[in-house]
Amino acid sequence: MNPTPPLLSVRKLRVSFRDEHGHGAEAVKGISFDIPAGKTVALVGESGSGKSVTAMAITRLLPEHGCHIAADSEILFDGRNLLTASRRELRRLRGGDIAMVFQEPMSSLNPVYSVGEQIIETLMLHTRVGRKAAYQRAVALLKEVGLPTPDRKMSSYPHQLSGGQQQRVMIAMAIACEPKLLIADEPTTALDVTIQQQILQLLAGLQKKHGMAVLFISHDLELVGQFADEVVVMHHGSIHEHAPVQQIFEAPQDPYTKALLRCRPHLAQRPARLPVIKDFLGDSCYFEPPQRQRGYQADDRVILEVQGLCVDYHSRHGWFGGRHSQRAVDEVSFTLMRGRTLGIVGESGCGKSTLGLALMRLQQASVGRVLFEGEDMLALTPRQLRDYKRRIQIVFQNPYASLNPRFSVAQILTEPMLLHGIGCDAEERLQLAGDWLEHVGLPRKALAKYPHEFSGGQRQRIAIARCLTMHPEILICDESVSALDVSVQAQVLNLLQALQDELGLSYLFISHDLAVVKHLSDQVLVMQHGRCVELADADTLYAAPQHPYTRQLLDAIPQGWPHCIKPRVA
Amino acid sequence: MLAYIVRRVWQMVPTLFGVMLLLFVLFNWVGGDPSYILAGKNLSAEALAGIRQQLGLDLPLPQQFLIFMRQVLTLDFGTSWSTQQPVSALLHSRIGPSLLLTGSILLLGTVLAIAIAALVAYLRGSVTDRLVTLIATCAMSVSALVYIIAGQYWLAFKGGWFPIMGWSDSTLDNLLHYLPLPLLLGVIVGLAPDIRFYRSCFVEELGHDYVRTARAKGLSEPVIMLKHVLRNAMIPVVTSLMMSLPYLMMGAMLLETFFGIPGMGKEVVMAVERSDFPVIKAITIYIALATMLFNLLTDIVYKLIDPRVQLH
Amino acid sequence: MPHTSTTPPAAQHHHNSLTRIGWRRLRRDRIGFSALCIVGAYLLLALAAWSGLVASHWQDEVAHPYAPPTLFAGAAPHHVELNAADIDAADRRATSAAALDSSGATGLSASEDPLAADLAAAQQQSAQYRSTEQARADSLPLGADQRGRDVLQKLLQGSATSLQVGIAGALLALTIGTVLGALSGYFGGLLDDLLMWGYSVFTSVPDMLLLLAFAAVSGRGIGTVVLVMAFTSWTGTFRLMRAEFLKHKGREYVRAADAIGAGHGRRMFHHILPNVSHLLLVQFSMLTVALIKYEAILSFLGFGVGVTQVSWGAMLAEAPAELLQGYWWQMLAVTLCMSLLVTAFSLLSDSLRDALDPKVK
Repeated sequence: MNPTPPLLSVRKLRVSFRDEHGHGAEAVKGISFDIPAGKTVALVGESGSGKSVTAMAITRLLPEHGCHIAADSEILFDGRNLLTASRRELRRLRGGDIAMVFQEPMSSLNPVYSVGEQIIETLMLHTRVGRKAAYQRAVALLKEVGLPTPDRKMSSYPHQLSGGQQQRVMIAMAIACEPKLLIADEPTTALDVTIQQQILQLLAGLQKKHGMAVLFISHDLELVGQFADEVVVMHHGSIHEHAPVQQIFEAPQDPYTKALLRCRPHLAQRPARLPVIKDFLGDSCYFEPPQRQRGYQADDRVILEVQGLCVDYHSRHGWFGGRHSQRAVDEVSFTLMRGRTLGIVGESGCGKSTLGLALMRLQQASVGRVLFEGEDMLALTPRQLRDYKRRIQIVFQNPYASLNPRFSVAQILTEPMLLHGIGCDAEERLQLAGDWLEHVGLPRKALAKYPHEFSGGQRQRIAIARCLTMHPEILICDESVSALDVSVQAQVLNLLQALQDELGLSYLFISHDLAVVKHLSDQVLVMQHGRCVELADADTLYAAPQHPYTRQLLDAIPQGWPHCIKPRVA
Repeated sequence: MLAYIVRRVWQMVPTLFGVMLLLFVLFNWVGGDPSYILAGKNLSAEALAGIRQQLGLDLPLPQQFLIFMRQVLTLDFGTSWSTQQPVSALLHSRIGPSLLLTGSILLLGTVLAIAIAALVAYLRGSVTDRLVTLIATCAMSVSALVYIIAGQYWLAFKGGWFPIMGWSDSTLDNLLHYLPLPLLLGVIVGLAPDIRFYRSCFVEELGHDYVRTARAKGLSEPVIMLKHVLRNAMIPVVTSLMMSLPYLMMGAMLLETFFGIPGMGKEVVMAVERSDFPVIKAITIYIALATMLFNLLTDIVYKLIDPRVQLH
Repeated sequence: MPHTSTTPPAAQHHHNSLTRIGWRRLRRDRIGFSALCIVGAYLLLALAAWSGLVASHWQDEVAHPYAPPTLFAGAAPHHVELNAADIDAADRRATSAAALDSSGATGLSASEDPLAADLAAAQQQSAQYRSTEQARADSLPLGADQRGRDVLQKLLQGSATSLQVGIAGALLALTIGTVLGALSGYFGGLLDDLLMWGYSVFTSVPDMLLLLAFAAVSGRGIGTVVLVMAFTSWTGTFRLMRAEFLKHKGREYVRAADAIGAGHGRRMFHHILPNVSHLLLVQFSMLTVALIKYEAILSFLGFGVGVTQVSWGAMLAEAPAELLQGYWWQMLAVTLCMSLLVTAFSLLSDSLRDALDPKVK
């Protein structure tokens, strides 16, 4: 055992939320763990696991109304119980000894004050320095977190910085007063993969340099594996496993941890079916499925050919202002074979989603041709397009936004059939809708329910069923699994794979996640700034990337233990 | 900045043209033939024809519109039909009292409402908060007419603390003697809705992530409220101030009518009663111009409050 | 929404549309539900008055002029029986003494007044009726006005008029604003420029001034007032709906509707409109309140409902002169009656906003 007492110890923490009719729901169910001084502890779990609530409880930032912490809970920081500390004491600790970094850097910074002002404010609050000294210190901090031209950045406003830079500012603010404990709540989730890696390196370096303890909260086990000393795995408000990082990755004890580690696609493997949590919870042993071979074959038939597609966004300023246009997709060409999958990867803003929308004519393309079995879709009149529209369908990213919240599932599924004259009457359409619902793994009685009664994964299944009712030949999946938890993501990926095998669908799989794209794709197209930088067979591309940007993307994929981050901060 | 202002002023042209078109359609087309009103009892054909010729009503409509446009551009609206005074001279003498009254109500009312709203938002959920919200809701429901009638009756007629009505030529006399009661009533009428709205602005801002950051920094609640939240909440507050101008104009109109203040509002009411079209048209054009200028001013104030706003 | 109230809640327990959830949330909200009940009661009363079931005889002079409310029969200022001419004269004296009555400032002398002859005739006629009158009451539940009409009956009739103007005006304004706002926000482009131009024209003139300008060229009467109010108050709804349609047309569920082949009309009115309907309900409730207040002011100034109709504003117009002589009951009755309805409507708006917000589950 550790002879020195831990910096922070959470004892039997129990947090419940009361909704408007007074029903309590326990978000954290009596958890206990320690954070030793100078160590990094990672809190890992899927959404609803209570990890963020725990972090907020430590800093007492949970809302005062409707939230209840059980009386026998204790959070000891340096021997003091934070749950009984006075407001004054708490204020001294927050920002001083305990600092926080949040998920959304843009909204977490006050938009109307300059970056410098917000750092100076913290410094002057907790240390006895004058404004001038605080200014000098703030510049030094901005330099330390790796912002270019820190002098000039001092007077910048948050909206003038990129997401990564904003998060660096948040980190500078957090370490300003040399905290003993830094709580980072999903600090990289809102950022692109390459930026995520940079921020993680920065945090690791700062942790070593300042000797802080870090509580790192994340949904991504691979990510924390690179960084943490200890890992706490949470599920549904309780701790499933708490062990040193090596043990978690090499000899996980808890079935849930095992499942979390396995159900995310890996670059090195491509099983015919991804394992899901259920495979590990039962008594039966999990058997490794055979690997799947991918890649376009010589006898494949072309279903979709895109030639030199360009999409421009126009913006106007006022009645007499000039027109501005920006090229979102620039000269992209590719072919999709029948029954195959083309993966499209790139970071946010690279034009991959716009490309998907332009193919369906949901977004006007400027130049180029989209040949669907030889017919140029972009040249068709709206009337001619109708029939083609049915054959190419799209599943969107956000399962909470892509279903009309006022429609029942039956309405959602029968509307496309009604519009395209599938099924002869309402009764038959309802029958077909039920069939499709069962096809995607939902019970027939779900027809009478409304979207808000389903979880994210279930909604995505409904969205897929809506497309299937029209018997499409091509399905565009626009980040369709990105918003889902890893365990649900595996299930939906398995469903997509099963549907392709059964119905011979061709997929355009758009994602920022290279591992997921590799799992599902025969060919992969890498996009940057609207251009295609590399297009190759999946296996070739991942084994021997040609373009430096592709290599950069591949390097940024979190690999988990033992690919530890080597701090690169001076 | 200057280029922006020039461009914005240039953009007012179509709007002003629209207002002219609206007024023209209203008064020269929908409004029918005003010569019947003017002729009074002398409804002889010659008299009517004379009046029509005098007003240019015998001209084709496009030509009449051109005449109206010239009037607007030169800000010379001819003479009032009822008093035969030049309209521009009449209105110039009316602007001062109106500005004094509405300006003071706006200033005092806004400062008071923001202060109370910030306090109540800070105490959100408490008994004080609920009480103030409830009182404000009830106070809002009483017609402005009732406040003015009751205020004038009890505070001036019965209480004798204020003059019942009147206005003098000396600004000092007006400020000390005649202004206080209309000002008080004007502020009372506007206070309740403003408090409710500003409170909701503050409470909404309090739910944002940057407030959580400010708390995580260890700032105290009053500092968070006064430094971080107030400036962000000013953005919707300034918008509502701009939007409240029409209501202020309405309130001032009643106040001016009740207290005999010779302002634009009173003039409008009298002009509508007498069907004095030139005066109504002139006042509408003047107020529309003022509203447009005020909108421009609001946008510039936005820029000062919120660095994200780009003037282009 | 009423149709959802008739379905038994138990049968619908499992599958709840957002509307039904909102309705149930409103039912649970004690303040909101009471407000709804009050508004409902007013509507029933207004319907009854409008169809002539109650208060159809509000113009009958059933009591002595200024007969006090029954409860205050002893405490009220004593009224000297005067004939009509005396009352008019006393009125005029009072008005010119304090100049409280705004409409007294018209500056029209009798010789200029083209209606003077008609008025005289009407007065003679009413004098004939007066000679055949029944015994007059000494006190009434809410007192009587200058001509001895029952304030209670006037109040009921006035409520009906005010509600009718408020609701009809709000519905019309809402329709104009929604259709134009939907077109503008959904299609954008040149159509949006054009409609925004119209919007900027209408908003550059304050509502009240626009109302008066419309009133100056139009006649009087309920229909005119409703039209005038709708033409001047569509802008708020337009702005709201334009922003909402702009926001929703880019949402994934609308894009999905496009992908499955739904046309523009279907996307606008079948998909988007139900998703903004809760905002429309709140907007309707707020607009009704605003228009009821506007109507009071318009009628007070004499540009509102016609002389043969009564509304809250028209009743308040009699208040200043009455108050001077100590007859406070008509003003108090109108104030309370109007405040109750407006408070109920405001509270209902707040509750609707909370109950129908789809973000809160």
